[in-house]
Amino acid sequence: MPPEVRRAFLIVACLVVVAAVAWASLFDATAPADFSLQNGSDPKTIDPARATGNIESRIIFALFEGLLTMMPEGDPDPITGLQPMSPQPGVAESYEISNDGRTYTFHLRDNAFWTDGTPVTSHDFAWSWQRMLHPETACEYTFQLYAVPFAEQYASGLVEVGDRVEVELWDRPLDTPTESSQQNFPRGTMLYGTLREIVKPPEPELADDLGDEEREDAMLDWQQQWVYRVDVAKENADGEVQWDDDVKSQTFTVDLNSTAADENTQRCHAVMVAFGKLGSLETPDDRTLIVHLKDAVPYFPNLASYYPLFAVNRKCVETFGSPLWTKAENIVTNGPFKLGFRRLRDRLRLVKNEDYHAVNPNGFDTVDFLSMEGQNTALNMYETGQIQWVTDPPTALLEELKTRDDFITAPQLSVYFYRLNVARKPLDDARIRRAIAKAINRVQIVEQVTKSGQIPAYTNVPPGLALYESAEGINPDIEEAKQLLAEAGYPGGRGIPKMTLLYNTSEGHRAIAEVIQQQLLNNLNVKVELQNMEWGSFLDKTQQKDYDIARAGWIADYPDPNTFLDMWVTDGPQNSTNWSNKEYDQLIADSAREGDPAKRMKLLQRAEQIWVDEMPVIPIYFYTSINMVKPNVKGFFPSAQDLHPLNLLEYRK
Amino acid sequence: MRDLLSYIIKRFGWMLITLWIVYSVSFVLMRSVPGNPFSSERNVPPAIERQLKARYNLDAPPIEQYVDYLVGIVTRFDLGWCIRLEDYSVNQVLAEGFPVSASLAIFALVFAIILGVSAGVVSAVYRGSFADVSMMAAAVLGIAIPNFVLASLAILLFVFGIQIFPAGGWGTLRQVALPALCLGAPVAAYIARLTRAGMLEVMTRDHVRTAFAKGLPRHTVITRHVLPGAMLPVVSYLGPATASVLTGSLVLEKIFALPGMGSHFIYAATQRDYTLAMGMVLTYTVILFIMNSLVDISYSIIDPRVKLQ
Repeated sequence: MPPEVRRAFLIVACLVVVAAVAWASLFDATAPADFSLQNGSDPKTIDPARATGNIESRIIFALFEGLLTMMPEGDPDPITGLQPMSPQPGVAESYEISNDGRTYTFHLRDNAFWTDGTPVTSHDFAWSWQRMLHPETACEYTFQLYAVPFAEQYASGLVEVGDRVEVELWDRPLDTPTESSQQNFPRGTMLYGTLREIVKPPEPELADDLGDEEREDAMLDWQQQWVYRVDVAKENADGEVQWDDDVKSQTFTVDLNSTAADENTQRCHAVMVAFGKLGSLETPDDRTLIVHLKDAVPYFPNLASYYPLFAVNRKCVETFGSPLWTKAENIVTNGPFKLGFRRLRDRLRLVKNEDYHAVNPNGFDTVDFLSMEGQNTALNMYETGQIQWVTDPPTALLEELKTRDDFITAPQLSVYFYRLNVARKPLDDARIRRAIAKAINRVQIVEQVTKSGQIPAYTNVPPGLALYESAEGINPDIEEAKQLLAEAGYPGGRGIPKMTLLYNTSEGHRAIAEVIQQQLLNNLNVKVELQNMEWGSFLDKTQQKDYDIARAGWIADYPDPNTFLDMWVTDGPQNSTNWSNKEYDQLIADSAREGDPAKRMKLLQRAEQIWVDEMPVIPIYFYTSINMVKPNVKGFFPSAQDLHPLNLLEYRK
Repeated sequence: MRDLLSYIIKRFGWMLITLWIVYSVSFVLMRSVPGNPFSSERNVPPAIERQLKARYNLDAPPIEQYVDYLVGIVTRFDLGWCIRLEDYSVNQVLAEGFPVSASLAIFALVFAIILGVSAGVVSAVYRGSFADVSMMAAAVLGIAIPNFVLASLAILLFVFGIQIFPAGGWGTLRQVALPALCLGAPVAAYIARLTRAGMLEVMTRDHVRTAFAKGLPRHTVITRHVLPGAMLPVVSYLGPATASVLTGSLVLEKIFALPGMGSHFIYAATQRDYTLAMGMVLTYTVILFIMNSLVDISYSIIDPRVKLQ
């Protein structure tokens, strides 16, 4: 290189550096919001039908409003400080329950509007619920509507001969001959009729060494080749279907390559129960929604105030599609706040919705949900006044923080427990399971390890649920535990197979597991090996039931004991313990049909007693919610579901 | 100039090959790790899991997924939709995170170069003095202390002690200062040591002795005759330095709550967000490759003895 080039290069390099620094110094500065809070990591999505978890729900409760909404009612509990909350009018200004408890009639208010100015109607709810249940939406909370007739069949895509079905033809706006459109709304042409026959090609022969997943896949592939013969009925202009008039027999299939298809067979996306046309939800006018239920579900108002049952704006979803409709420039909502903007790893800015029917004139004009994972970072920013609400204070500092006035803690409807794999020796013996449960000193765990006021758990259902009295818990007693162990054939712990305790990698879980390991060794001479795994692998192991003992936790989906109990029925999706008890299953099923709340609670209590006696899962403690909020914020109170309506918060004058 | 052009073309070719290998290895590795993007505490029914997989083309045979995704990247620069952060496409995540990470890296590097070179020159010129000893001791500490420890100390000192910087967040120069300092400090320490060693070596050379002998003033000798030669190791270190600044920012982004793209890297891997993880790996590969090539090119321009090959 000639020297001139070298000299020129030096100058250019300096210029580039200067330019780079100048570029880097350009910030588009955003003024801080009136109120900022730590919201954990980035929300996965803000689509109510797709969200799960606290991080998302906090935002969704501020952006959207359901038929009902959880609001404080009455005075706080004098001992725990818990503020009771109950479902109160939201979009619906009132509702009636029929005498048998199986029909809910919601009357919508006339001043509930979407942010695009259109009124929120009963049709919005009917449509949103159907969207939520639609298998392609893949909502994880579909079970919340399973009490509605046909909802479960619709969500799981099951049909039987004789069912009244809907057929969605392969003509969605974005469908191509090879690829299905990823947007399930707007839908293709809908046909309705009665399913007369399912022609199935021969079932594929599966090799024995195939894994569960491949087997499932092969079965699902095969199901796509089924050909459905449907007597298609006429649909009136008002959307009503004449099920028995003017019928024309046609055949449909998902996969046209099916050997059972002929040249007249039409391609469809799915043949499903015609959920929307069978009268489960009625919308006699824009402001009335009638919901029919299979059983009396006393906690249905709670479900109606939980976000999976919120309405989304049909026009918005259909215009932009999922997930683009959730972008700040597109989204249409109906809650106390509007979405201002959203920046990944930074913040989600909410702006007060002045058109909201119950707008709080003293409430915050802007609220920032900061995406922050670091516990210490959040506390630092809280201490320096950059944020006003910490949702996850550093565990290591809890003992010190606990004494402060702005530290707000209360029992929560959630339980920390260990699953036991009852298919493995020696845990197949209930006496061993009870012995382990009895030998654990939970008081030591909550007082010396977790240290933020958790409550030792001896039953499955946390305290604080109205009308429910928990079953008699397992009482810790080392002598009895030793005796049970001896009865099971391992006196003094001799000869007992070694067990592995699996937990997902985290300081907190490790500390608890270590204490329990030590307690079991000291008290029963039972050796337990600890194994930790990062979250994804851990879930895989648990779900495949490839473990001896595995930690887990459960947060109530709705404030009712059922949310803690129905998960342990035989082969329940969250059971994962191989535990099965006929009587238990029966009691849970009976309780769902029981109309009398008091009797229903008794049935649930009996079920819980079986659970305690059989001990397929060892409860350790009930969680407490922990928040830190600046003392000048008014309207923040501890609640059992850790719900804090943002609309009620304001600064003290 | 000719060889420069052919060098760039050759490097570009290598970059494509490297990217392809990185793509293939990451693809296989990610899919062989247990768990999948849809695993959650609440078990997903098989039919729903299949819908989710269809949405991300994960139901296709692995070979087809491999090809489809690669074709999408090559023809449309489309890295797909994030699987876990489902409202965002990978390109949007990169577009939002890259400028932040880049600004942070620029501040950190510029700070590191200025501080490192000045400290190195002073130490070399006043070799053995108190300034030399203390600065080199500080440099050893700077290299040894991990940046998250440094960050904690800095927060104690500058956020809670003398309250001049905010605890976290992004959007003003004051908010960038602390993370950039913490990120740049280890690099500065390294550069200081390299500069000092380079200076000392060049100062014993014949041409420097000649320059002194013919009576040039000391600062002229240092700036004109010693520094250019002493800078060569520093320039060649800038490639790895960029890498260390980029990877080091993963931790600092968390500590200072910065919206950079580094934290997505870890998050994507632990959450099995296949598409986002792939996007991050490929982006980092490209950045590191380009930075290393730039360093090589500038090296050849500064040092006439180096030929590009």
